[in-house]
Amino acid sequence: MHDLYTQESARLLGVAKRIARSDALAEDIVHDAFIKIWTRAGSFDPARGTARGWIFSVTRHLALNFMRDNAHTLEVSEQSESAVLAEAALDVATEVDSFEYRARSGRIYGCLEQLEPARRNCILHAYVDGYSHSEISQKVGAPLGTVKAWIKRSLVALRECMG
Amino acid sequence: MTGYPSKDSADEMDALASEYVLGTLPAEQRLDVQNRLATDADLRAAVDAWEGRLLTLTELAEPQTPSPQLWGRIERSVSSHDRQTPVKAAAGKSHSWWDLLPLWRGLAGAGLFATLLLATLLATRTTPVNPTTYLVVLVAPQNQAPGWVIQASSPEEIQLIPLGAAPVPTDKALQFWTKADGWQGPVSLGLVKPGQTLSVPVNKLPPLQPNQLFELTLENPTGSPTGKPTGPIQFIGRAVKVI
Repeated sequence: MHDLYTQESARLLGVAKRIARSDALAEDIVHDAFIKIWTRAGSFDPARGTARGWIFSVTRHLALNFMRDNAHTLEVSEQSESAVLAEAALDVATEVDSFEYRARSGRIYGCLEQLEPARRNCILHAYVDGYSHSEISQKVGAPLGTVKAWIKRSLVALRECMG
Repeated sequence: MTGYPSKDSADEMDALASEYVLGTLPAEQRLDVQNRLATDADLRAAVDAWEGRLLTLTELAEPQTPSPQLWGRIERSVSSHDRQTPVKAAAGKSHSWWDLLPLWRGLAGAGLFATLLLATLLATRTTPVNPTTYLVVLVAPQNQAPGWVIQASSPEEIQLIPLGAAPVPTDKALQFWTKADGWQGPVSLGLVKPGQTLSVPVNKLPPLQPNQLFELTLENPTGSPTGKPTGPIQFIGRAVKVI
């Protein structure tokens, strides 16, 4: 367990921090994820995927649950909101990539490459930042309905591309 | 919003799974999916497939070093978790798995899990090769006073680092030499300015050896005319392997 912690905690914390947007909260989430992994290790089924993938999924979903469950109480702080707006302004006409996804290996990157930059950004903001539809809409400066449709279609395209 | 047809078409179910994994489902639907996962094998398979497809993207989040306290917290919670419910962030989950799973089963599982993890890591990672590191202290032959240190932590270059600024006569220069056991004679590594660190590429030389000799001699300003040391030795030392 400690080996797992040494090996993966920084990466898991990075994933949780991006979604939870707070150091303290991210540590709570990684804490909870480890407890969950430890207590449910007996129910881990290798047929369902890799052990490493499972750990990351557990962490991500705990973070996402927390963010979604508390969506009504969590106000975007002014500072992070202005940061979000400033960043949005930089994504000129949403044609600029917000993520350094190139020069990485993995099938997903080749498939993301085939999407338009704005749609690619939507997918990455959702997965990496844990943004909701409306947050993404704000971030990329596109209407909510458009963002929802982009994401839906992009997921179908990714599915076709990756098999 | 809450409802989905009881018999999703495969496409609809896959769309639901994909948005669940992506994270864009609203709270209510997320909870719905999570509850269904326990019983709906098809949905579970669709979700697992999407987890696998998107997993690589987690590497886009920069790793962050945890605070030193975090491991202690986890350890304490694991040892005392027995019948408690420490999972704050999982408030949305309704499974009372801690009641169902005896401690020993968890322990056995953790062992299995560690094995699987190790296998995964072994298969997906290459251990960085740790180059042998050498250290040389160059001392003055008369009084053994250390004057320079040589550090060789990469096979490409070594660094000659001054410990002080020993004066050199204005009409002379320090020249840097090395000789390993079995070499014909010393090889010049160039001229050295007193008091300045010198990086010397050594990739054209054979790899460093334990006990390899390094020295600085006093030569003409343009270096030794013969290509071999001619002047008096100012500093001398032998390479020591650092483990």
